[in-house]
Amino acid sequence: MNYVWEFSAIERYQHLLVEGLANTLQLTVLAYMLGLPIGIALALGRLSRHRIVSVVVGFVIDFFRCTPSLVQLFWFFFALPRIIGVRLSPFEASLICLTILSSAFVAEIFRGGIASIERGQWEGARALGMGYRQMMIRIILPQAVKRMIPVFLERAIELLKTSTIAAAISYPDLLFQANEISHRTYRPLEVFTTVALIFLLVVTIGSQLTRMLERRLARSGESTAH
Amino acid sequence: MNDLLRYVPVFAEGLWGTVRIAVVCLCASLPLGLIIGMGRYSRSWYWAIPTRVYVEVFRNTPVLVLIMWFFFAFPTIAPFDVDAYTAATLALTLNSSAFFAEVFRAGIQSIGRGQWDAARALGMSYRWQMQRVILPQAIKRMIPAITNRWIELFKLTSLASVIAYQDLIHTAKLISSAYFNPVQTFTIAALIYFAMIYPMVRMLYFIEAKLKRGD
Repeated sequence: MNYVWEFSAIERYQHLLVEGLANTLQLTVLAYMLGLPIGIALALGRLSRHRIVSVVVGFVIDFFRCTPSLVQLFWFFFALPRIIGVRLSPFEASLICLTILSSAFVAEIFRGGIASIERGQWEGARALGMGYRQMMIRIILPQAVKRMIPVFLERAIELLKTSTIAAAISYPDLLFQANEISHRTYRPLEVFTTVALIFLLVVTIGSQLTRMLERRLARSGESTAH
Repeated sequence: MNDLLRYVPVFAEGLWGTVRIAVVCLCASLPLGLIIGMGRYSRSWYWAIPTRVYVEVFRNTPVLVLIMWFFFAFPTIAPFDVDAYTAATLALTLNSSAFFAEVFRAGIQSIGRGQWDAARALGMSYRWQMQRVILPQAIKRMIPAITNRWIELFKLTSLASVIAYQDLIHTAKLISSAYFNPVQTFTIAALIYFAMIYPMVRMLYFIEAKLKRGD
């Protein structure tokens, strides 16, 4: 156990780590932004009064939930190009896969958020003669969205953690860069420990922020839509 | 489709790899999570602080990063050989035990003070209070969360394929690169996962609905 830690080797490759972290964040943020409108559409589809729509949407969500993200990623990267005849870059395949995941997250958050609004609010809005659309936009969503904010953040962190799978198809995210640097320096222990700590730091800051938001909401008498 | 029948034994082997690692990690992380979770609940700092750090570290580090760490970094300091199976088992067990710890802690906390007071009034020691009064009630409430984590763990085992552990996905990858049929193999792998996980999810819904009616 007389291992001598030697971090100086990594310093020369700092730029790769920074680049990797930027790529990780870029992929996560983009996938979340794309997932937002799709997720809202899915949530509305699931709440739809047309039974066929809600059953089909529910099944699609279930299907993606019941398969690991990695198998979806490989499917989009290796199989989909054969079907559509267009090669996808690692970035594109990862973006598709993570967008699906984030839209499922968003759909679940919206469903939970809307369901958390008390019946009285619906009845009150209806008593004022509002239509379904108006009720949703004016009464339900403004209240529901506030409760959803901490959960949105929590899910963004979850997405960031899952985005590491993109390294498996050589998207140059932080984890992939770690592998690169470790090959070049023969210092896997230092490199992977550093990268693990960077991830830990980013995720911990994110989850502390979530907790702060939750406490703030609790102070203003709001619950969180889980 | 016919040549796909040839791969049935190979896929079966991959599936066995997936099931084996999932079950081993579950069996290891449940008791570990219980100990950590009870430590989190403890009033003495030398239990509470290390267990809190444990939970934060292993819950917040992405699982794939843990797996890669144990596979590539750990062997330089490990006093024993680390193969893909060992690395993945260690990473997945640490990660899911941290999640289980939070499940146990929340479950224990959800039991009202009155139960503790009553148990103490009967002259029970802390251990007995826990074993006879608190845990039996808490575990019932934890079943949905535990089932949920088990489903999550089952899906996470797929990450072990990245370090070439012989699971379902790794098998699919091997077949598809040998026979150039990624569409069939990855579709089949996805369907097998779905066939395994969908019943678990249905069961979870069923348990949740049943507990809601009972409570």
